[in-house]
Amino acid sequence: MKKSWAIMRRDLIKLSKTPALIVTSIVMPVLFLLIFGNSLEGQLKHLPLVIVNQDHGPYALRVMEKMQALAAGPRTINIAYMDNPGRAIEQVRNGRYKAALIIPPDFSRDITVGRIAELGLFADNIDSISSTALQALIAQATAALRGGFVTAREPKLNQIVLRPTNLFVTVDYDRSLIPGVIVMALFMGSMTSGVFNWIMDRFSGVTEAYLVTPLSPWNIAGGILASSVVATTLEAIVVLIAGLALTGGGLTGGPAAIAMLCGVIVLTGTGLLAMMFAMYSRASNPRLIGGPAGFLNVILFFPSGAIYPVESLPPWLRAFTRWNPETHAISALKSVMFKGANFAAISSDIAFLSIFTAIMLVLAGATLKRSL
Amino acid sequence: MPSSSAAIETRELTRRFGAFTAVDGVSFTVGQGELFGLLGPNGAGKTTLIRMLTTLIRPSSGQAFVAGHDVVHAARRVRESIGVVPQALTSDLELTAWQNLDIYGEFYGLPRAARRKRAEHLLEMVGLRDRAGDMVATYSGGMRRRLEIARGLVHSPLVLFLDEPTIGLDPQGRRAVWDLLVQLRSESGLTISLTTHYMDEAEKLCDRIAIIDGGKIAAIGTTQELKAMVKGADRIRVEVAGDAAPAAAALRAQPYVQEITADQGAIVIAASDGAHAIPKIIERLESAGAAIRSVSIERVSLEDVFISFTGRHLREEPGGPAAPIRDPLFAAAQRRG
Ligand SMILES: Nc1ncnc2c1ncn2[C@@H]1O[C@H](COP(=O)(O)OP(=O)(O)OP(=O)(O)O)[C@@H](O)[C@H]1O
Ligand SMILES: [Mg+2]
Repeated sequence: MKKSWAIMRRDLIKLSKTPALIVTSIVMPVLFLLIFGNSLEGQLKHLPLVIVNQDHGPYALRVMEKMQALAAGPRTINIAYMDNPGRAIEQVRNGRYKAALIIPPDFSRDITVGRIAELGLFADNIDSISSTALQALIAQATAALRGGFVTAREPKLNQIVLRPTNLFVTVDYDRSLIPGVIVMALFMGSMTSGVFNWIMDRFSGVTEAYLVTPLSPWNIAGGILASSVVATTLEAIVVLIAGLALTGGGLTGGPAAIAMLCGVIVLTGTGLLAMMFAMYSRASNPRLIGGPAGFLNVILFFPSGAIYPVESLPPWLRAFTRWNPETHAISALKSVMFKGANFAAISSDIAFLSIFTAIMLVLAGATLKRSL
Repeated sequence: MPSSSAAIETRELTRRFGAFTAVDGVSFTVGQGELFGLLGPNGAGKTTLIRMLTTLIRPSSGQAFVAGHDVVHAARRVRESIGVVPQALTSDLELTAWQNLDIYGEFYGLPRAARRKRAEHLLEMVGLRDRAGDMVATYSGGMRRRLEIARGLVHSPLVLFLDEPTIGLDPQGRRAVWDLLVQLRSESGLTISLTTHYMDEAEKLCDRIAIIDGGKIAAIGTTQELKAMVKGADRIRVEVAGDAAPAAAALRAQPYVQEITADQGAIVIAASDGAHAIPKIIERLESAGAAIRSVSIERVSLEDVFISFTGRHLREEPGGPAAPIRDPLFAAAQRRG
């Protein structure tokens, strides 16, 4: 224990001499937050839509009003008008607009006589995210009209209007990325410290000079792990503070929330560092880490709920997310940060992370290379 | 159980790597306070032997005791008793000399104050005091080697192992290391095991030398003993006036003469104890009526001993060519012996 302390002290001294490493470990996740938080908004905005109105009846006007309201209020769309449907479709094809909405000449009449009325929507379905969103928007806007006349659907007379109510205080998209960038900082720490230091020691021969002293391989690995947990979790906490400051606003929940956040961060950091030890403690060359670790970073991060809801992933990937430690870390962090969760609410995530960390520590111990 | 007074003792110590035997049934004993040399060419098995003695690798068979402890069953006790300067440079480049020593001392459980005092003393001793606060990455090879010697001494070990401590150093650097080792032994009675492939180093520093080749000990003893093992080792050259053949004939059957050749006014005699043979040779030649012009003697060198036991040369300088065979006669004598 005391001997591990010597190694831990050594690594912290070395880290303090490479401030660039600390700075990048903090700045990179924060940059990620700034770039993606300000570009990928939670909702789509300013989708260019061209409308060709060939009908001058009352229902066509109602549709136009609905669309104008969407453009003026949430700014989901930008509207342009044209007379020639052929030219409008042409402009969608060449990328000027995301979709062309064509209101045919007999639209209002069809509704009045009770026939199924049709609207034409020609969407740039290569950009599937925008086209799906536009389709949903227009369906929603027109469904509110009497009789519901959306393509190929039976008209219904008694409409049910859904009025959504948010359960939680609305969180801006950039703020909702904070748990993700915390986990990103933890993963980067597990790549650049921990087992990396272990392999560097072996590679540079330092280990040979250590193993002839009373220091055991356990002391060495323990000291490296401890220093890395300290450094990595401190970096992640700085990322948390920077993230809160940049997205404007503090943390609700007081000391209990802070304690829970720190607990989740330490647990996740230890688990990821132990995982990397279990995978790489026998590697002979530090260069072996870079590629696979970069891959692992993406493969754990993307399906973790950090940037995209896990519920919307295909079933096979969703099955994986249940075993992904980053999913549980992000779920716990989000619950505490945005939902004011108490410990009971995150206990299943904590339990998963604890078991994961314990298993990885055991694996790391079992595979640790104890001889030269 | 080890012999009570031995600092190092090995019994049939063997290490195999797959089918290859790197160290093959090595047995020797080093007494306390001795400076013991392991001399052998590249690949002889020196480092493998040292690694077994310093608990880094396990023997395939045989036993070894260091400071009275079994290297396999009491590895921890051995580690507490030894200091090691490995063949490769192993100090931490990202720390200062001072930090290297301080952290290393902590591995042995030395308290902070004791570490500080010891490190200051050692840095002074190896001449690194002025640079102690600089990162090791900025050191020259010689400075780094001296630091590693200091590091091996941090906990005042009973036995110090040095594996080729002067490799890659210039003559001045080598001398600095030699002086250090001599000083250490006289001051502290430390037992030192020194691995080298420099003849002069072994001859100058070591009380006893083991010549190791192909994983086996070819010969072991003091420099004098080793030289005495070589038949006809000293070469005495006598120049005579006129024809040398009759003079050579007069010496041929004498017991102190092992080999003799004559050629144009000079006789070359191989004798195992050259210094004592000279007066007898002079007396014999004078009574045979030869007019002696000059007498010179070339003593056997450790190099000759080495060639005699291994059939090979040992390079004298790193990267340099093998030393040339100095005397065709002597070489021929060795081939026959
Ligand atoms: N880990 C290993 N695996 C396989 N072979 C090894 C290993 N270590 C050493 N050897 C072999 O054992 C032999 C002795 O090596 P060793 O390093 O002990 O020689 P040495 O006398 O120290 O040589 P040098 O003067 O070059 O340092 C060599 O042939 C080497 O290739
Ligand atoms: Mg060697």
